[in-house]
Amino acid sequence: MQSTNDIKNTDQKTLDHKTLTKSFYLWFWGALTCFSQEHMQTFGYMASMLPILKKLYPDHDDQVEAIHAYTAFFNTNPMLGTVIVGITASMEEARADGQDIDGETINDMRAGLMGPLAGIGDSLIDGTLIPILLGIALGMSSGGSPIGAIFYIVAWVLIAYFGQRFLYFRGYTLGSRAVNILVGAQGAAIRRAIGIVGAMVVGGVLASWVNVTTSLKLRGADGKVFLNLQSKLDSIYPGLLTVLITFFCWWLMSKKHVSAIWTMVILVVISFVGVLVGFFNPGLSY
Amino acid sequence: MTISWLQAAIFGLFACLCSNSCMAGQAVGNYTIGRPLVGGLVCGIVLGDIKLGIACGVAMQLVYIALVTPGGTVSADVRAISYIGIPLAMVAITSQGLNPLGGTAANLAKSIGTLVGTVGTVLYYAVATMNLVWQSFGWKDIEKGKIDRITGVNFGWPWISQMLFSFIPAMLLTHYGATAVTALRTALPMDGIAMKTLFTVGGMLPCVGIAILLRQIVNRPVDFIPFLVGFTLCASLKLNLVSVTIISLLFAILIYEIEMAHNSSSNGGSAAIETNGDDDEEDI
Repeated sequence: MQSTNDIKNTDQKTLDHKTLTKSFYLWFWGALTCFSQEHMQTFGYMASMLPILKKLYPDHDDQVEAIHAYTAFFNTNPMLGTVIVGITASMEEARADGQDIDGETINDMRAGLMGPLAGIGDSLIDGTLIPILLGIALGMSSGGSPIGAIFYIVAWVLIAYFGQRFLYFRGYTLGSRAVNILVGAQGAAIRRAIGIVGAMVVGGVLASWVNVTTSLKLRGADGKVFLNLQSKLDSIYPGLLTVLITFFCWWLMSKKHVSAIWTMVILVVISFVGVLVGFFNPGLSY
Repeated sequence: MTISWLQAAIFGLFACLCSNSCMAGQAVGNYTIGRPLVGGLVCGIVLGDIKLGIACGVAMQLVYIALVTPGGTVSADVRAISYIGIPLAMVAITSQGLNPLGGTAANLAKSIGTLVGTVGTVLYYAVATMNLVWQSFGWKDIEKGKIDRITGVNFGWPWISQMLFSFIPAMLLTHYGATAVTALRTALPMDGIAMKTLFTVGGMLPCVGIAILLRQIVNRPVDFIPFLVGFTLCASLKLNLVSVTIISLLFAILIYEIEMAHNSSSNGGSAAIETNGDDDEEDI
């Protein structure tokens, strides 16, 4: 497979499996190790491209020149973004073979894909897959059992490792066609469908694990309770207060553009006032 | 319960492995070791009370179930939540004599975890800023053609940032913080306004985490409906999460089929969904 390259165009340069695997591992373990706000994943990217460049360009000066294509800013979802590294590996191979590809072509592809894949990855992985896995794991771990935590570790690491490995080699073999399923019309349908699963599971997580209740009870002159607000609310819709507080937080953050930290501060104020007037009482004692 | 130097150092090491720019890779570091549920298991093993560790981890995981870091901006730091917050919460719960599996203990854990996690974002930005130094080494190496050193810039030097801003803070805060948390009991009585507020907030904090996730998945008002259906299945019908996931898969299949049918009937109007796309015969 590795022959001499004295006649450049007729002599195919092919990356072997070992080099690609090494590049994949460098990305898997090091996409964000040297993270900074200014360059984000740039160094992780360069580190994972290094074995590929060294394989394709025997001459040191060519390697130095080739790495300059990867000095541009790079940041994406590190899981889905693996496919981009795979695609660049195949493009770099084509460039070394003398095809009409230069550093700018490679960079345009990277810059064009990193934004969309970051958005898809954040909603698909952070917004859907992780909450589902964690939601199931939390149920298994209620009562202090370590089973749920172990389930999450095994399930997620297997999905992440084999998923990223698949994406990397998919990117290498298919080139930019690899992302068609993610960005095309079918991809949009799949994303919407998965989004429904995510939304329902998150609703379930909220109902199963969060329970905001009021302790407000109005008493008549004879000392009997004539209004128990919590049981009234439960007869209307179980968990009503929990949903209302969540919608309130959502409204603050997405409509009023309040940051998450200030939203928490507002909850502190609400709690403080609520405790003072007797609306909230966690019923504490030693 | 106290935290020895050795235990504190183990927390420090795990903090290095799991922070947002983590030394154990994103999938294993940030997304596994960094999650509070896993952190609860680790802290439980290290401090010798797995049950309490998991209980704290479960409570804090709820707040951060939807930790998204769009564009590298963080609102909470996982190393601080999992390896400073959980150990301190465990000490606090033990010293207050609370039932580890009770709601009160969980709310205390959430309050401590969120406070530490929010303050901990300082550590995240500190590491990212210090990494600029190593990156400047990297740029010089590239200029001089010493490209082999990039691997060292990416995997070696950042350990120094992590030692300074993950290992040392986690070790010092867990070791000395344990004493401070124990002193809390005498300083703040449980039936006082401060503690009541703290526990009430702890009960509400997961709403913020869920709301952050909702912001991600809700684009139109109708997107709230699947969320509310999931909530109702659990709150009113008392289903568990696996059951809800399976029911949601049915809806996912329906949505997928409708969307695909919608795409193939090149009509594009939103009326096609409402009428199931059946009476749209005209092909352009």
